[in-house]
Amino acid sequence: MLHGARGIYLREILILRRKLIKTLLASAVSPALFLLAFGFGIGRGALVGGQDYLSFLLPGLLTMASMNQSYAIATEINISRFYFKVFEEYLLAPFGRWQIVLGEMVYGMTRGLIPVAIIALYSLLCGVHLHFGPAFFLALLLHLAIFSLLGILAAMIVRSHADQATVNAFLITPMMFLSGTFFPVDQMPLAIKAVASFFPLTYSTRLIRATLLQSGDSSVLLYLLLAAMVMSLFWLTRRVIERVEV
Amino acid sequence: MNYAEKTHPEILVRGLKRAFGKVEAVRGIDLELQAGELFAFLGPNGAGKTTTINMLTGLLRPDAGQICYQGESFVSTAYEVRRRIGVVPQHNNLDRELTAAENLRIHGRLFGLSRGKLQQRIDICLELAGLCDKRDTPAGKLSGGMKRKLVIVRALLHEPSILFLDEPTAGLDPHSRRKIWAFLRRINQEQKCTLFLTTHYIEEAEQLAERVSFIDQGQIIAGGSPAELMKKTGSYVLDIYRDEDVDNEFFNDRSTAMTRLEQIDGTVRIRKTTLEDVFLQLTGTRIEP
Ligand SMILES: Nc1ncnc2c1ncn2[C@@H]1O[C@H](COP(=O)(O)OP(=O)(O)OP(=O)(O)O)[C@@H](O)[C@H]1O
Ligand SMILES: [Mg+2]
Repeated sequence: MLHGARGIYLREILILRRKLIKTLLASAVSPALFLLAFGFGIGRGALVGGQDYLSFLLPGLLTMASMNQSYAIATEINISRFYFKVFEEYLLAPFGRWQIVLGEMVYGMTRGLIPVAIIALYSLLCGVHLHFGPAFFLALLLHLAIFSLLGILAAMIVRSHADQATVNAFLITPMMFLSGTFFPVDQMPLAIKAVASFFPLTYSTRLIRATLLQSGDSSVLLYLLLAAMVMSLFWLTRRVIERVEV
Repeated sequence: MNYAEKTHPEILVRGLKRAFGKVEAVRGIDLELQAGELFAFLGPNGAGKTTTINMLTGLLRPDAGQICYQGESFVSTAYEVRRRIGVVPQHNNLDRELTAAENLRIHGRLFGLSRGKLQQRIDICLELAGLCDKRDTPAGKLSGGMKRKLVIVRALLHEPSILFLDEPTAGLDPHSRRKIWAFLRRINQEQKCTLFLTTHYIEEAEQLAERVSFIDQGQIIAGGSPAELMKKTGSYVLDIYRDEDVDNEFFNDRSTAMTRLEQIDGTVRIRKTTLEDVFLQLTGTRIEP
């Protein structure tokens, strides 16, 4: 059962193991810099929505950093597809291509857990108490699935490695800054609020922050919204991958 | 079941076509391979060899035409047919960070081999490739010839009945190339595996293949056994040197050729026809290695 998805997952994990230290360090540095610049630089002593800024910022950083790790599979798939051509092995094997989507998605979600551990450590160091409960983990899994799927989708749609960089610059970077990671979306100008309402990160940040701080909006509606995004992205990615040729 | 139904060719292709925008890469190809054959698809760069293989293995969708494996139509969801196919791509697409054994293991898992079976097949395949002592070496650290062998045994791991090889020896030195040839002959004879290889090395086709088809600009221009093709062109050839150029004249037997040779002034050489002469006759162009 699912030998395709499991085979793909095994391959990705074997490779990840070879570069685990590098991946750990890389995903530790950028949140640390944001924490220093925003948390201790600009935001020291500030209050956001009745909370100190660090408590507001850490869940945002967790969401953003795990998004980056999950989405980063786009670049890996891209290199394997256009440069090393290992991706052909998946296309030749005897299983439905939806298994490629499944295997890569679970891998992306696995990668997305790395920054979670790191931010948990940072929050301990900062003395901020976060609640890592079941509500949080459910939200996290949906969040990671969304961005893993977006990564796979991007890697399937682009025609070259250069295109991939363009997608990142126009989609992922704006999302990082406009989705409530650093500032509450409600305090932004109306135009930006409108843009932010199209970003999935806006919703996953809101939900993950609410579960970690146990305050704010963590309604069932948000879970359903994220689940709906996972399902439609899976469906879409599968459709696109069915059409993919070498 | 009657016997006529059992004798389907290993692969049957009719009217295969594929264009990329305005470029008609493959323009209506017919092929038929019997089980156990060693077939070479010979053509210059850009002739459409890779495009053909990619369609036969399901990596590209044909614009038109039919592909049947053992009488069964090949569609992208024909997973049982896929299990019977092994592919050695033009490019060594190994995971360079993973060891030789791990590369094989992933392939076996993708093809759904059980753990016990997989372990056994990995041992057999490493042995076959002579790579037992490289089992735990990262694939990226192997030499070009070893990488190529690893890619070949990886394609054999799931015991396909037909193996496609896209330029199996491109970029290898003459020594490694000969080793790969011997290796392919063994696979064909011992494993009873049908081999479909593409090449632009005429010598490779001549040395290896029982049957050859010439492809040029997306079309098959001739086919048959190398001996047949050479005989059809004429078994003996005269190289007649004129100024900057060489003219060829073909003869069915040596004595006629000798008679003609004596009539010509200037530099003339008599030799046996090669497959290269056949190709030059057919296309008027030279294949550059
Ligand atoms: N993905 C593609 N997009 C556009 N054109 C392509 C594509 N693949 C192949 N072609 C074109 O189709 C023609 C046949 O290419 P193909 O790769 O099949 O040739 P080949 O016989 O394998 O050549 P080579 O010996 O160089 O590998 C060429 O003109 C090539 O430029
Ligand atoms: Mg080619």
